[in-house]
Amino acid sequence: MPMTWNHLQHGIRAVLGKNPAGRRLTVFPDDVFIVSYPRSGNTWIRFLVGNLLDPDDPITFANVESRVPEIYFFSDQQLRALARPRILKSHEYFDPRYRRTIYIVRDPRDVAVSLYYYSIKRKVIPQGYALEEFIPRFVAGEFFEYCGSWEEHVLSWHATRRSHAEFLFLKYEDLLANPEQELTRIACALHADGVPGQVARAVELSSAARMRNLEEKHSSEWKLTRGTRQDIAFVRQAKSGGWRSELSAPLVKTIEQAWGATMRNLGYELLVDGNRQLGKS
Amino acid sequence: MASLHENVRRALGALLTTGRVLTGRQIAGRAVTVFPDDVFLVSYPRSGNTWTRFLLGNLLWQNDPVTFLNIESRIPEIYFNPDRFMRGLRRPRLLKSHECFQAHYPRVIYIVRDPRDVAVSYYHHNVKAGNIPDHYPMASFVQRFIAGEFDRRFGTWRDNVLSWTALRQGAPGFLLIRYEDMKRDPATVLAGVAAFLERCSFRQIDARPEALQRTIELSSPERMRALEKQEGDQWVLTKGTRRDKPFVRSAISGGWKSQLAPESLAAIESAWGDLMQSLGYELASGTVGNTMVSQGEIL
Repeated sequence: MPMTWNHLQHGIRAVLGKNPAGRRLTVFPDDVFIVSYPRSGNTWIRFLVGNLLDPDDPITFANVESRVPEIYFFSDQQLRALARPRILKSHEYFDPRYRRTIYIVRDPRDVAVSLYYYSIKRKVIPQGYALEEFIPRFVAGEFFEYCGSWEEHVLSWHATRRSHAEFLFLKYEDLLANPEQELTRIACALHADGVPGQVARAVELSSAARMRNLEEKHSSEWKLTRGTRQDIAFVRQAKSGGWRSELSAPLVKTIEQAWGATMRNLGYELLVDGNRQLGKS
Repeated sequence: MASLHENVRRALGALLTTGRVLTGRQIAGRAVTVFPDDVFLVSYPRSGNTWTRFLLGNLLWQNDPVTFLNIESRIPEIYFNPDRFMRGLRRPRLLKSHECFQAHYPRVIYIVRDPRDVAVSYYHHNVKAGNIPDHYPMASFVQRFIAGEFDRRFGTWRDNVLSWTALRQGAPGFLLIRYEDMKRDPATVLAGVAAFLERCSFRQIDARPEALQRTIELSSPERMRALEKQEGDQWVLTKGTRRDKPFVRSAISGGWKSQLAPESLAAIESAWGDLMQSLGYELASGTVGNTMVSQGEIL
C-alpha cells in the first residue's frame, strides 16, 4: 500500500499531538466514562450528569464538550490537561483500561431507526434511502465500524464488567420511564448524591423539550452537528418503541434474528416470536 | 500539573514518534492495518503464543524451520513491528496479538491457558524483564496479577479470555484452543488448526501425521531453548531483558501445584473460578467460584 495523503495527514497530526484521542486515549484510574453504542442516549446522560454536578451553570450544546467531552473530538494532549476526575464520553467497545463506567444500552430496533435518520442528517445516506437497504448494513455494523455491531458492543461490556462494583449498566428505556430513579443510581456511582432536589432539577434541565430548544440555538456550532443537515434534528423523538411504526415486520425480523438471544436477555421482548430462542444461543 | 520531567519526557517521546513516522518505523500495535483475510493468533501473555507461532511457522514453512530470528517476518507480533513492514508480508497473514476483543479482527485463533500456570510464568517473565526484583514475594505478585496490573492494555486474564469467548465462541471465524490440550496431544490440536487455516484460505497445508510429528519436534521446548540461547539477545521480545533468565521456561502445565501457596490459589480461584471451570480447569482450593459469569451463560 503506498503512502497516501491520509497517512501523511495522520502522521503530521501524530507528530503535533493533534490526532483525536479515541482509543489511544491516556486513561487515568479516576476517570469516569459514559459509554454506549451511538444513538443510545449518551448525549442525554451527558446533559443529566453535567446538570447534576453543576446545576447553577446548566449544560448546553455550547458547553457540553468542555464539561463532559467526547474522546473523538479532542487530542489526548488536550484531554490530559482537564481537571480530574474527568467525565468522558466514549463509544468504544470493551476497553479493559476503563474503570468507572456508566454503560447505557437501548433497544436495537430503536437504535436502528434513530441511526437511520442520523445517517441522513450526516449525509452518509441520501434522503429517502430504503430502510430495506439500511437495516442489513446496520446489523453488519457498517455505520460506525470502530464500534463493532450493536450486539458486540453491549456484550463486550456486559460479559466482562457486569459484576464489577464500578460498572453501572443502564437501559435507555428505564431512564425514560423513571428518570429520577435512574439518575439517582448515576449520582450514587459519581458520589454526587448528597443534595436533595438536585436530581429532579437535573432531569428538568435535561428534558427533551429543553434539549431541542438548545439544539436550535447551538447546533451549527456544536462539533457533533456542525456540517450536518440543519433541517434534521439531532435530538429526535427521545422515546422508546418508535420502531413499531417505522420498521416493517421483515426488517424487525432481520434485527431479531441477528441479536434475538441478547435482546431477550436484556429484557427486550421480541416481536417475531417471544418464546422461541432466535439467533445464536 | 505535569512536572518539568514529565514535559521533557513527552517532548522526547514526540520527537521519537516524529522520527519513526517519517521513516515508516512506527510500531503498529492496536492500530495495525487489518486485511479481510488476516488470521490473528491471540492470547493473554504467557499462554503459549510463541510456542504456537513456532508450531504454525514450522507447519507452514516445512522446508525452512522457524527460529527466533525469522519468526517476526513470518508470524509477526503487532507490538514489535511497523505497520508498513507487516503490510508488505505475503497474504493471508498470521499475526500475533494480546488484545482483548477486537471487532475488526476477521479470524481469530485464541489460545487459553490455566491462569494458575499463567501466573507462575508471568511472575518469572516479569523478573526477567526487570519489572519485579528477584525473590519478589509470589503472593504479592499474584494479587497484582489478579488486578491486571502488569499490562493494563490487555486487561486481566478474565477480561481477555471472556471478552473473546463471550463474543466469538461458536462463530465460524473463531477457534479456541487450550494450551493444556496442545501439551497433551499436539498433533490433534495442530491438525485442527491446519483445517481452520485452510478454511481461512491458506494454501494446502501438509498435515499428514509425519509432517505434524516433524513440526512438533522442530518446536519442542528443548529446541526452542537451544535457539533462544543462540539468538535471545537479538530477538525483539527478549532483547534488553535479563539473559540469566530464559524466555522459554518450564513449558509444562500444572507447575502451579508446586509454585503457588494455598492463599494465592484461593485468590485466583475465587476471582475467576466460574470461568476457569467452564474452560475445564478444575479448581483445587475448594473455593466455589463466585457469581462472576461463565462463558456458557453470558448474560
